[in-house]
Amino acid sequence: MRAPRGTGIVLLALFAAAPPALVGQQDAAAAGKVVYDRWCAECHGEAGQGDGSAAASMLPRPRDFAQALYQIRTTGSGQLPTDADIRFAIENGLPGTTMPGWPNLTDQEIDDVIVYLKSFSRFFAQGPAPEPLDFGSDPGGGPAAIEAGAAAYLTMLCEECHGLSGRGDGTSAPTLEDWRGLPIRAADLTEAWVFNGGSSVEDMHTRMLTGLDGTPMPSAIDAMNSGVVSPDEVWQLAHYLASFGPREMPPLREVIRVGRAEGGLPADGGEEAWAGVEAFHFPLSGQVVQLPRNFAPTVDGLWVQGLHDGIDVALRVQWNDPSNSPDPNWDEWQNKITAALDLDGAEPIALDSAGAPTVRPPDAVLLQFPFEMPEGTDRPYFLMGDAREPVYLWTWDSETGVGAARGRGLDSVEPLAEDPVAGEATWEEGRWTLYVRRPIEVESDGLDFVEGTPTPIAFQAWDGSSAEVGKRSSVSTWYYILLEPPASSTVVVTPLLAMLLTGAFGLVLVRRAQDRRRDR
Amino acid sequence: MRRYLSHPFWQGAIVVVASYVAFEYVIGYVLPVIGVASAPVPSSVIVEYMLIVLVGVLLYMSADEERWQRFREPIRATMVQPDRRTVRGILMVAFPVLIGWLAYERVKPSYAAPATLRAVHPAPPNQLTFRGETIELTGLENPLREEGSMEEHLAVGKRIYVRNCVPCHGDLLDGQGHYAQAFNPVPADFTSSGNLPQLTESYVFWRIVKGGPGLPREGTPWDSAMPAWETILEQDEIWATILYLYDQTGFPPRTWEEEGGHE
Repeated sequence: MRAPRGTGIVLLALFAAAPPALVGQQDAAAAGKVVYDRWCAECHGEAGQGDGSAAASMLPRPRDFAQALYQIRTTGSGQLPTDADIRFAIENGLPGTTMPGWPNLTDQEIDDVIVYLKSFSRFFAQGPAPEPLDFGSDPGGGPAAIEAGAAAYLTMLCEECHGLSGRGDGTSAPTLEDWRGLPIRAADLTEAWVFNGGSSVEDMHTRMLTGLDGTPMPSAIDAMNSGVVSPDEVWQLAHYLASFGPREMPPLREVIRVGRAEGGLPADGGEEAWAGVEAFHFPLSGQVVQLPRNFAPTVDGLWVQGLHDGIDVALRVQWNDPSNSPDPNWDEWQNKITAALDLDGAEPIALDSAGAPTVRPPDAVLLQFPFEMPEGTDRPYFLMGDAREPVYLWTWDSETGVGAARGRGLDSVEPLAEDPVAGEATWEEGRWTLYVRRPIEVESDGLDFVEGTPTPIAFQAWDGSSAEVGKRSSVSTWYYILLEPPASSTVVVTPLLAMLLTGAFGLVLVRRAQDRRRDR
Repeated sequence: MRRYLSHPFWQGAIVVVASYVAFEYVIGYVLPVIGVASAPVPSSVIVEYMLIVLVGVLLYMSADEERWQRFREPIRATMVQPDRRTVRGILMVAFPVLIGWLAYERVKPSYAAPATLRAVHPAPPNQLTFRGETIELTGLENPLREEGSMEEHLAVGKRIYVRNCVPCHGDLLDGQGHYAQAFNPVPADFTSSGNLPQLTESYVFWRIVKGGPGLPREGTPWDSAMPAWETILEQDEIWATILYLYDQTGFPPRTWEEEGGHE
């Protein structure tokens, strides 16, 4: 790789008159440059400005080391990170972004690359080495702490961005920008596994005290110093945040079990009827298979629950989306996303003379099945089938509601007006809840479910306010849905019969052997 | 101990148990740990193998009259001798319970996904069409190795890889991109010794050009998220990406001489 123009000058300026102590630094920076050019430069750019060739398809963008604005630190707001902070990000990666952890690098290589990263900014060479804050000690969790933390959540106005239920749907959420002026999401606090600074109580407390420099997330230190909250209350707030959801992504289970409903199917997606019904989580990816691709999708997973009564099957699908599209409050966000993200050839949505988008796409989800029950394990192509093998779709969008369709590829959807699928969706505090219901077997075109036989199922989702339309969606590959068959007596009878027969056979054998011995 | 080892009955028992352990655990779980590409054996195949082992053991034991007598001796003794009453009682309960449990395992309702046997590296075709142009794959070498500047090819390959491949195959080329967990089957791990070094560059070219939809049936084309990159990239961009894959992982590609040696 060619040496970038800027780098040599930076290195020269730094080390031209290097005293002997800095000679080691110079070697380290040179070694770090080798590692950097090999693994980091394509995203972070050869001069470390976060402008590598792939940067435009990433939101948030790669870090600009020349600015030395680091989100993940243990130092005060506006201060430089410690070497250990930079190491933390390199070793663990930044979940929820495109930055992975780097277990392939040795300790020495990481040390070297840290020296080189710091050389991109003049700030590290000035002034003393940054010192970590004093984080105090955790007074402990428990229900009382969580309750106090919930109060602090409101005192500190967390809900203005993160929303009352923490799903990143606060009233300010559509306006948020990072230091570059690019749109940035308020973190969805219910998905701790995509927190870029770690998901433990300590991690969250640290992030609150340091703030995330370069983003709208402030440090809590000012609020503590002015007496708005006490140090203990910030710890309690961290415990409250930890209570929003699991730390790890829920384990993937390939088969959605649809149990038999006791006393009738739920009539809607309401909480009472579905409480206690097992929920299955499926991660979604951006549609990055066909042009135009979606490199930074909004919906990163959904939850599915199901019940049936032998006649109808009902499903409840829930996913987090901070915007109830179409919503003019998100116009500015939609415009900024359109401008900031590489749309991969997709036509950007035009603006009217007042600067408002001429189209506000709806939110949408679809559930995909094979059109007919497949032979063996063969299935239609997972991206809505193809001309040869169509898929059967349950479609929903926030403008036209629930319907059925036949899909022959991502851009070929033909509605099936006769299909009896019905349902509705509601949006509340950053979450859609979709309820769909249909007979298990139908007269018209489309799939018949078979109790006890796994049926392939796949998902797709769109966030209209992030200009997600057409192929720019979130997708999954195939999973299964299984309607529990009625309890069968063979489960009990067959093993009993096998035991009885074996036992009797054994008795006869032993008896005969003993008789023969006595005869002898 | 020696007494047991020299006794035909215990020899037979050891062979049966050792075979089961080998089929069930060694092939599926121990071999991958020591770096040999392998996968768990389906239970129906294990049953088949175990039947063969059992028949083999019985054939061997009954081939010699004296050995057969000695083999049968402990079984007979357990059935008839008064001082073995306790063992006999335990076995006569335990055996039917075992059979009952096996029967239950067979008939109980299953909520597991149906097993799919997927060939990770299915046989490639002899030729492919790239946007209508026919390309012979047999004997095909990476044309960029013979022309232009390798440094420039690698820079192009890296740019193409990071822009297009990283979301699934990852910055570390380990198949752990940020979308990897949303896909099933998971994206290929290029740092595994079971992938790149086992494949000729022409094979990798085929897999990139035709992607998931171009796989034969045994490669489960319906659920691979690999795009058919001929719709997005030029031929030279794909060849440059292949150079980058081998260069960045440090593996040499399989050559056609090695390929021929296996036929």
